[in-house]
Amino acid sequence: MNTATGTSSPSNDDRQAPNDEDQNGMYECNICLETATDPVVSMCGHLFCWSCLHQWLETRPNRPTCPVCKAGISKDKVIPIYGRGNPNPQDPREKLPPRPAGQRSEPETSNPFQNFGFGGDGNFQFSFGIGAFPFGMFASTFNLNDGRPGPPLPNSPQQIEEQFLSKVFLWVAVIFIFWLLIA
Amino acid sequence: MAQKRIKKELNDFGRDPPANCSAGPVGDDLFHWQATIMGPTDSPYYRGVFFLTINFPTDYPFKPPKVAFTTRIYHPNINSNGSICLDILRGQWSPALTISKVLLSICSLLTDPNPDDPLVPEIARMYKTDRDKYYKVAKEWTEKYAQ
Repeated sequence: MNTATGTSSPSNDDRQAPNDEDQNGMYECNICLETATDPVVSMCGHLFCWSCLHQWLETRPNRPTCPVCKAGISKDKVIPIYGRGNPNPQDPREKLPPRPAGQRSEPETSNPFQNFGFGGDGNFQFSFGIGAFPFGMFASTFNLNDGRPGPPLPNSPQQIEEQFLSKVFLWVAVIFIFWLLIA
Repeated sequence: MAQKRIKKELNDFGRDPPANCSAGPVGDDLFHWQATIMGPTDSPYYRGVFFLTINFPTDYPFKPPKVAFTTRIYHPNINSNGSICLDILRGQWSPALTISKVLLSICSLLTDPNPDDPLVPEIARMYKTDRDKYYKVAKEWTEKYAQ
């Protein structure tokens, strides 16, 4: 922003490009008065470097207020601003807690019952678990082999055996369901 | 951080100084400034030039600067040591404030004393009960110490 800060670091000079003067400090942190790095904005709309704001909140933890307008402020309620580039890769972020993450809220919907379990394809579903139970058990027994074997060749002894087994289980299932119905 | 911000303030101050105020570092120490305030026209301090010292803490701007008058002044909120009773220099400090804004606040305190939060109760009492006498004494002090 000026030539008098001759001892400032090169990265700082990079940020203070000549056209920065034209911006008239619009993107200056309200605490360090430099162009904000890791910028966050408060709910009241005031811009800060995250490191500056964090230090201020640490300085006065019992009564956190916005430095500019004294509105209530908290770490959870500031919004990070993500620009396109990474302006300052050597920023000492590791000394600080990271900026709070941005929050993405779902858009509002007009269906008032959307959050109830009974409507639409909600969460309220009966599962007919007991009927499928024996198959699940046998299936897991077979899966004890190393991985799932590929389909056997047609008319091979293995295929005949598997067809026999599947018929047996089909009858077991039919008998089991029949037993459930008459029980 | 503190040094960089003080430099920045010094530059901003030079570019856009507030009316009736000046300030700058004493010697090479950026953390120690001297400031002057011209007495506001609509006050008994008019035509007086008041000197102040400003000491920046190392954790500036998270802590307020220490500002005190070195010129004697007759005012309900400024005592004989030059200490100033001003909320923004204590609990109401904010890192968004600058020396320029602090000096402006002190200027307005000179124009409008706050007798309900006095540092010198006798002057506050006189300000409330006998405004003419307060004005007269303050003007005498201005002529005696600040000209």
